[in-house]
Amino acid sequence: MTITVSPIFLFNAERGEPEAAELWDGITDQQLGDWEGEWVPELFKAVQKLHRAGVERRHWPQSRHWNWRKKTEALQGMLAHPGFSIVCNGMTQGMMIVDTTMKRCRIEEQKGKNLVYVEFVENAPWNRPELAQPPLYRGIGSILIRAAIALSQELEFKGRIGLHSLPQANSFYANTCGMSDLGMDPDHQDLRYFEMTSEQAEAFIAKGNQP
Amino acid sequence: MKIEITKKWCLRMAEIEANAEIGAGLYALDPVFDGETMPANETSEEPSIAFGRFVRLMRRDRGLTLEKLAEDTDVEVAELVEIEEDTHHKPELRTVYQLANYFKVPRGNLLQVAGLTAPRDNRLIDEAVRFAARSESVAVLTPEERAALEAFVAVLSEEK
Repeated sequence: MTITVSPIFLFNAERGEPEAAELWDGITDQQLGDWEGEWVPELFKAVQKLHRAGVERRHWPQSRHWNWRKKTEALQGMLAHPGFSIVCNGMTQGMMIVDTTMKRCRIEEQKGKNLVYVEFVENAPWNRPELAQPPLYRGIGSILIRAAIALSQELEFKGRIGLHSLPQANSFYANTCGMSDLGMDPDHQDLRYFEMTSEQAEAFIAKGNQP
Repeated sequence: MKIEITKKWCLRMAEIEANAEIGAGLYALDPVFDGETMPANETSEEPSIAFGRFVRLMRRDRGLTLEKLAEDTDVEVAELVEIEEDTHHKPELRTVYQLANYFKVPRGNLLQVAGLTAPRDNRLIDEAVRFAARSESVAVLTPEERAALEAFVAVLSEEK
């Protein structure tokens, strides 16, 4: 698998300054290794801390009936899918896996058209606000969405993308990304489905160019 | 594919994004972590003598106190005591991860020996039993214990 690396920048909140990073157009064994070796133990620690602090289970971050092996196997099975990852300071900081063939648009004005469907987006635990105070790197979500739009444009889908947001991320996709909220989807554990039109994609890119 | 994104764009969006949560897709849901993570039918209720013995001998071989091992692995000392002393104790997944990293053995193998995942490798389990039998504890690490420990580490370290 050949990976093309695009230079990007993240904001290092700890140091209060920009830091050079890389956007990779794929998920490799390195990402899986980082996920298993660094993300998972970190996540264990954070969730255990919440548990010990007496936080009720329903308030735990995105707690559902999953187990680690199932998730690892699911991710490994998706290795062949197209995706993007963000690497900074030698470590995977965020990952996204997309599907470019199976899904179609749901918004009325573009119903049935092709889109890039985002199967999976995740930030490293140390970049997640509910797990790390303060989160280390900022900007990962925006850059991954920008990459999904770029892929959509490359495939001549005109920037159309769709995804099912985790409850804690609804406001990011609705407000920061400006995507349309099509409501809860009973086929996806009631996660809300968001879709971006080509106009919304342009507006999102323009947003970052405004002073 | 190469994607041109300016530094200005990255930083402006980082500012707007701030500390937002960004998880999306069913695969992004965190697994539950409360000791109930593994379904009951996938874990062994058999006592795990080899795991506790392994931790104890590896620790002693390095001349570490329980406190020092707890500190080095970021595991609570109480849990280490239970692992070494109580063969029915089911360690936390994270603890096994931390110990596997620290002792540099594959996590999957150590999870099997700890009884947290269903045994997939009968040879490993046979070796674990043999190890438990050969390594009965005495005050100091004898050459025999060391030999037993080293032989078990060699089997445990085999990557599938």
